Amino acid sequence: MADDIRRLSEELARDPASPVYLQLGEALRRGGQLDLALKVALRGLERHPHEADAHDLLARIAVDRGELERAFDEWDMVRRIAPAHLGARKGMGYVLFKQGRYSEAQTYLSEASELDGEDETVATALAMVRVKLREGAGGAESADSDHGIQRPQRAERPQRHQASSLFDEINETGEHTALLLDATGLVMAGTYLTQDGRDVAQEVGAELSGVSDEARRAMRHLGLGNWSSLTVETDAAVVAMAPMRDDALLLVAASKAMPLGLVHRVLDRCVERANGWLGEGAR
Amino acid sequence: MKTNLTPILSALTRQRGVRGSLLVDETDGVIIDATMHVGMKGPAFAALAASLYRKARLSAEAAGLGGVTFVRLRATEGHVCTAGKNEMVLVIVADVHANIGLIRMEMLKALERLTI
Amino acid sequence: MISVAEPWVEAPLKRFVDDARVTFALLIYPSGQVLGQSGFSRAVEVMSAAALAAGIYATVRELGRTLDGKGFRDVFHAGAKRRLYLAEAFTPRGPCLLLTVFDEQSSLGLVQLYFEELRTALAQTKVQVPDAAPMLDENFEVELNRNLAMLFGRAPGRRHITPTS
Repeated sequence: MADDIRRLSEELARDPASPVYLQLGEALRRGGQLDLALKVALRGLERHPHEADAHDLLARIAVDRGELERAFDEWDMVRRIAPAHLGARKGMGYVLFKQGRYSEAQTYLSEASELDGEDETVATALAMVRVKLREGAGGAESADSDHGIQRPQRAERPQRHQASSLFDEINETGEHTALLLDATGLVMAGTYLTQDGRDVAQEVGAELSGVSDEARRAMRHLGLGNWSSLTVETDAAVVAMAPMRDDALLLVAASKAMPLGLVHRVLDRCVERANGWLGEGAR
Repeated sequence: MKTNLTPILSALTRQRGVRGSLLVDETDGVIIDATMHVGMKGPAFAALAASLYRKARLSAEAAGLGGVTFVRLRATEGHVCTAGKNEMVLVIVADVHANIGLIRMEMLKALERLTI
Repeated sequence: MISVAEPWVEAPLKRFVDDARVTFALLIYPSGQVLGQSGFSRAVEVMSAAALAAGIYATVRELGRTLDGKGFRDVFHAGAKRRLYLAEAFTPRGPCLLLTVFDEQSSLGLVQLYFEELRTALAQTKVQVPDAAPMLDENFEVELNRNLAMLFGRAPGRRHITPTS
């Protein structure tokens, strides 16, 4: 992978107008070098603003960065430039699915299915969306068996349920909430509900995970050892964070009314819980 | 540069377990005034602590959590506490066994008295 | 993207750019000859920035000698959104200058902190010192153009181009 990236980089450096930036950006994205992949894609788009695949690449990078709306906009652009682009329909369907907008997701995935009826990923995604729509409609019996639709495997559902409710036992009083974020700021477990019941875990996680990068950087120079927790008191809440293995981050947000010592106690318990969960091989 | 906080910084540094107290420009990350134990890397603490505070402040605002009043970084060998006002950040570096509750109270009181 | 004309510059310059999170970084000899850069996309920008930085450095050094008896070591300018820092470092091949531009993602304190690391790394670099051959005026432009071509990958003698974050 590194050799490919170096070779592609050199090729692009030799000829900045070369379309090789698409391969380079994709290789970097797959390698998890998202900032660099983004730079390459943007630099490519400066030279090739009407290249559908460049917008497609940018959209995929945006998804990896947790920027779903941006991804949707980029795929929308792909669709305008190349109306028969399969990836754009799949991508837009994926974003809408992640946002819980199942009916709209079905529309785009159906269009994708019409473009390529043999694409298994589209068929699977469409099946998932239809299952979600049925669940939303009260769990009516499937009428889609003749379309080869499969329900999610039974093993997947408790896993997902367990991830979102991983910290529920610790949060019996409802005074705090906890999230487990991966190294890129994406939510692995837990929820962050607003007062109106909306789950904003992804947004809060994306915004706050960058603070841990600052903590990590500071520790390299200050001679204070490794950081074990970071507490941010704000007008609205107290947020406490702790580093986890593989650069993951545990985040607890509590009411300002909760004593600071108790917030740290909750944080410690959540860390313990998350370590156990990660140790079980949870994804 | 000496400020009206110099005596307060000195008082904070005399607290048990405190290695240094610094008043730092949040934007530039450079020291405005400081009292530190000998050997402490003041400029590094100033730059990194101000950056940490600033990042926490901007992230909390972006996440809809409002303004930041206090940030505490706990490490295996010490603490870094920060609180801000008027684009300045008060930074305390303390040993791992320092009384952080007391230090936090004193920092918040000190910030109220800060004029520059 | 980082590109360098001298391979031994790459690692310390990359580390500086990554740690300090600056927008642009340009490492040059006081003559204006470019050692490495990050953030620039066009050769003409590098050429202009290198020439201006060398000019600023010469001016400020003389100003320091006049006012303070010794040349100033660094220059900081705070713009509305971007800030500029120009400072001197030393390599086994002689003094060099770092011109860097940063925004709210970084700060003067951070740039100075990581510049000290860069300065130390450059001073400790094991690099062969070529025979002293002062650059003649008539060679300067040829040398500069060759150097820029190497940085932007248009010369057969290009030594190294590596993207970085």
